[in-house]
Amino acid sequence: MIVCVAVVGHQNNPLYIQSFTESDDVLKLHHIVHCSLDVVDERVNNPKKSGPTLNETFLGLLYPTENYKVYGYLTNTKVKFILVTTDLDVRDADVRNFFRSFHAAYVDAVSNPFHVPGKKITSKVFAKRVSGIVQTFGLSSAG
Amino acid sequence: MEEYPEELRTPPVALACLVGCAEVHGLITAHLHSQQPPINTIALPDFSKISMIPPKKPPRETSEPVGGIFRRDWLSKHRTRIPAVVAAFFSSHNVSGDPAQWLQVCTDLENLKATIRGRNIKLVVVVVTLSGHKDYTSEDRMIALRKRAEVDSKNLIIFVPDDELELGQSLNRLRTAVADLANAYYRDEGRRIKVRLEKRSFSSSELNVRYCFKVAVYAEFRRDWLEALKLYEDAYHALREMVGMSTKMPPIQRIVEIKTIAEQLHFKMSTLLLHSGKVVEAITWFRQHTANYRRLVGSPEVTFLHWEWLSRQYLVFAQLLETSSADVQHVPSVVSVAAEKPTEWEFHPAYYYQLAASYLKEKNVSLEFALSMSEDVGPIDGSSESVVASAYFGQFARLLEHGDTCIMQSLTDDEYVRYTLAEGKRFQDSFEIIALLKRSFEAYSNLKAERTAAYCGLQMAREYFAVSEFCNAKQIFDNVASLYRREGWLLSLWEVLGYLRECSRGISSAKDFIEYSLEMAALPVTSDAFEPSSKDCGPAGPATLSQRAKIHKEAFEVARGESELNLKEQNNELKVNSDYPLYLEIDLVSPLRVVLLALVAFHQPVVKPGAPSLITISLRSQLPTNVEIDQLEVQFNQSECNFIIGNGKKPHIAAISNIQPGRRVETAPSLVLATNKWLRLTYEIKSDHSGKLECIYVIARIGPHFTICCRAESPASMNDLPLWKFENLVETIPTKDPGLAFSGQKAIQVEEPDPQVDLILGSSGPALVGESFILPVTVSSKGHAVYSGELKINLVDTRGGGLLSPREEEPFSADNLHVELVDISCHVPEDQTEAPPDNIQKIQPSFGLISVPSLDVGESWSCKLKIKWNRPKPIMLYASLGYYHQSGEPNLQKVHVHKSLQIEGKTAVTISHRYLLPFRQDPLLLSKVKSVSEPDQIPSLALNDLTMLIVSAKNCSEVPLRLLSVSIEKEEDNDACAVQPQHEEFRDPVVHVPGEEFKKVFTVIPKLNCTRLKIGTVCLRWQRDSRVEEQYDSCDNASQVTKHRLPDVNIELPPLVVSLECPPHATLGNPFAYSVKIHNQTEFLQEIKFSIADSQSFVLSGPHNDTIFVLPRSTHVLSYMLVPLGLGSLQLPRVTVTSVRYSAGLHTSPASSIVFVYPSKPHFGANDTRETRRDSFVAD
Repeated sequence: MIVCVAVVGHQNNPLYIQSFTESDDVLKLHHIVHCSLDVVDERVNNPKKSGPTLNETFLGLLYPTENYKVYGYLTNTKVKFILVTTDLDVRDADVRNFFRSFHAAYVDAVSNPFHVPGKKITSKVFAKRVSGIVQTFGLSSAG
Repeated sequence: MEEYPEELRTPPVALACLVGCAEVHGLITAHLHSQQPPINTIALPDFSKISMIPPKKPPRETSEPVGGIFRRDWLSKHRTRIPAVVAAFFSSHNVSGDPAQWLQVCTDLENLKATIRGRNIKLVVVVVTLSGHKDYTSEDRMIALRKRAEVDSKNLIIFVPDDELELGQSLNRLRTAVADLANAYYRDEGRRIKVRLEKRSFSSSELNVRYCFKVAVYAEFRRDWLEALKLYEDAYHALREMVGMSTKMPPIQRIVEIKTIAEQLHFKMSTLLLHSGKVVEAITWFRQHTANYRRLVGSPEVTFLHWEWLSRQYLVFAQLLETSSADVQHVPSVVSVAAEKPTEWEFHPAYYYQLAASYLKEKNVSLEFALSMSEDVGPIDGSSESVVASAYFGQFARLLEHGDTCIMQSLTDDEYVRYTLAEGKRFQDSFEIIALLKRSFEAYSNLKAERTAAYCGLQMAREYFAVSEFCNAKQIFDNVASLYRREGWLLSLWEVLGYLRECSRGISSAKDFIEYSLEMAALPVTSDAFEPSSKDCGPAGPATLSQRAKIHKEAFEVARGESELNLKEQNNELKVNSDYPLYLEIDLVSPLRVVLLALVAFHQPVVKPGAPSLITISLRSQLPTNVEIDQLEVQFNQSECNFIIGNGKKPHIAAISNIQPGRRVETAPSLVLATNKWLRLTYEIKSDHSGKLECIYVIARIGPHFTICCRAESPASMNDLPLWKFENLVETIPTKDPGLAFSGQKAIQVEEPDPQVDLILGSSGPALVGESFILPVTVSSKGHAVYSGELKINLVDTRGGGLLSPREEEPFSADNLHVELVDISCHVPEDQTEAPPDNIQKIQPSFGLISVPSLDVGESWSCKLKIKWNRPKPIMLYASLGYYHQSGEPNLQKVHVHKSLQIEGKTAVTISHRYLLPFRQDPLLLSKVKSVSEPDQIPSLALNDLTMLIVSAKNCSEVPLRLLSVSIEKEEDNDACAVQPQHEEFRDPVVHVPGEEFKKVFTVIPKLNCTRLKIGTVCLRWQRDSRVEEQYDSCDNASQVTKHRLPDVNIELPPLVVSLECPPHATLGNPFAYSVKIHNQTEFLQEIKFSIADSQSFVLSGPHNDTIFVLPRSTHVLSYMLVPLGLGSLQLPRVTVTSVRYSAGLHTSPASSIVFVYPSKPHFGANDTRETRRDSFVAD
């Protein structure tokens, strides 16, 4: 189950962060997302020499915390997407698919002429769409 | 890791036992220990001590239940007490001695064999002999000894301690034998147990684990790491299978035992993997290990034991990772399985330290919970004191003493839980957690992972907070808060600020408390719907708008002094009052800018002194509820401009507060700041002082003892508010005029008063090079009196060349200075008998400073600048006058008047010259013949021949000049050449109008044959024609000299001189003589070819063409008679003369071979002769 998704801006500031959990660990999820930015920085600054990762937006598993797995994605405008999930057995393809549709939703949201780049995303449509994507996560592969 | 027993932490070392001949034991022990691999020894001085080796236990009955997985002392027993090899030492004296001695040897050996046989311990027999007695040992006895001992011959060693060479050999031999036998022993033991494993001949899974473990340890003794690893893994898996199997053991203790064993096995595996450099495998194993056991929490009463155990796993792994070689750590090997590849942080111990700390924290929490649940744990009953670790690893038992004997009694789970709770209470883990987090924090900081480091810091600070170390906590929280502020993580910041607020309570700092409270209240947490489920947001409560308002209210109540601040300690309270006033300062980087932002904008960029200017003060706050300010003070860099704005609704407050006398006080109808709304106040302001007037602070006073001092900012250069810049806010502009919002500045330039004094530069035409150019400067007062006036003069090259810069340090000389300021002369008024003392005058080539005497209104003063041009160059003259328009006021600003004038500097006259040969006479100059004509070739003149020198001077200026004299000054006083005339004064000065050319003819007769003859320098004296412009002074009339150096000439003796002779004119039909004289000046016979061309205009008689010889130093004349046939200027027949020797021909110029033919004989007037005699003439 996805417990948290976040869009992080250029100054490493959260543009959109939404958790999908009933319990009181929102703050903990904020911390997890924030700490994972260090790994993103590390990956972006020291790219592995291997070829296919050069232009890859999907950053892969950032770090396994004890109960969560954190995945990252870096758009070509250097906006970071972070996904936190409690599923310990996640297929890479599912995560890639998730990020792809999440990216599309993000692009639509920031294409809104009333959105000011660099400000938080407050669009309700975006939030609804993200919840939809989150709920369908992993279903396609299960079926 | 330190809490593990030594035998577990270090790899096992083989053990040997030395018996008998105690004197050689030290030697052998040291040798065995120093070799690789080392062998430990037990030294027994004599054979009676042999019972130290524990005898073999009787084989266990299969029906007997297994007490535990493995015994606590098994490993140490094998490492310290059960040797693999026994070396029996006999002295050769005893072996080959009398039968009694021999019998003793045999008995000792038999006893020894009996002892070690049960354990299959190997035996080495050593006979110690001195090198002198080596040969005395009887061969028979040796063989008998070997047979009795049942050892191979290589295991019977003669040991010679007193000869160095032999000692070395015998030590090596002994070592090899012992090492081989030890290996064999451990191999045999391992194989024996392995057989049981393979046959699966064990009754319980405990035995399975135990056997695997034993085989692995034996393999380790043999340094067979691969096998050891494999068997540890087997043991680990077997153990894993035991989880959930029901046994007779109490379940809580059962799990504790399994986990303890798993921990040991895993520790062994990790150590082996890391030491062989397999970091990735070790990490993968660790991951699996923690995943396996994380869910195995156990019963709820002892959850804390589980967390403690887990924390220990992480801590130990971190320590192992840290101590394993550093280079393997940082080179993560690429593993093909991408999904299971360890991520970056998993290679760093910091990650494990952090998790160890967080599990330890978890343990604390559940321990506290468990303690609170069990009420009767407080008084420690006697039973828990006697609980000790039992014989089996990971088990505990109660020790009961019955007289001298002790009996271990196993515990029930209840008793065990009570025991652990009592133990847990004794330890305070907070500092351990802090230490772990600090290691992690430092490691992450070194890795530049500041966010993870900050998270560790946050946890560390929370722990400090929990143990009431507020100073430490506050310091760390502050650092963490600055990161969250910078990156805009609101919820995290909210939590940290909440803690900080409590910390300031803890350290009794009202200022900090108010600062943090205000910052929290102004955080952009805008909606109540924000994360509705987030209740756990630190001590400040949920991050909601209502909570913000609550914090806001609380802060202002404390700040106004309406309520006390409750401190943490002993119900202390702190109140803001006159003893403890509260003063906050907000600068450009303060996080409190969101609380109060003060923008100040002047409406104009510049203002005249004394003239009013409008200033707008805009204040904005993001606090959730309205704030009423009692009084505002605006402070400027010119303190007399400061003013105070009082709140119209609270007039009494403005009256009582400390207002300095004479301070301007304004009153605003209301001073209420609403959330995100600008409070704009516009006032007029006047400054009498020129310079910059800048608003520095806007100080808000709220209540009697609360002051916020806010540094003023310009709207044009305002930065966005931190944190709020990411919010979708309504953009508002600080001033009514949107233009001002983008361009307004907090500073204004106050101009200096307008000068009312004229500075007149007497403009005149261009200056001429060489003359002292006089420039009159007049200061005339129109409306200001002039006091302490100073006139500065600057000469600047208009083309920007630095030639005239006064900064140039090099000494000035007339040569490299193109233009210089020579003098400043001024009229000292006659009534002033003495010059004023401050009459400074300073002149540098391009800079002058002169003081101007005091002038009353209407007076004027003038001076003259004398400027000399050495080269033609246009310059810019800047004159600036600074003065006070009133005397005696020291803080008055000086008034400045600036004027500038461009002056062209021009060359007055240019002089050129040329040489001219006498009419119709051509010397043959060989240098001209030889060389091709080149532009810079020096001219050649004929020796002793008269040459004309024509000097022409052209007036290049725009003014008429008067020429006074011209002369040629010889450089060397010799008679090398005669120049006529030497010097000529013009009786009537020649007026030379612009553009005119003046010519003067000199004659030159070189008298010396030399290649470079210096003729001299032409000197032309001139002055400006003062008749035309009368305003020039007499000093201007000093004449100037322009010089022109004549170039050197080449003098040579021409070998041949050809001259044409014919009358100046002819008459039609009248014959006249035309002769060509060829003068040979050499000592040689000269062969000359000549020819004459026929001409239609003349009838000619004489030789037409021929070759003749001219004798040395003689002249040959070719004579012709010509009769002109035409009229006017006619070309004489061309004569060509060619010297064969020099192969040079004479080509007369057409101008010199023209004769004018009159129709009849002309008559000339008498005065015509004067014309011809005149030497100098003025050409058109």
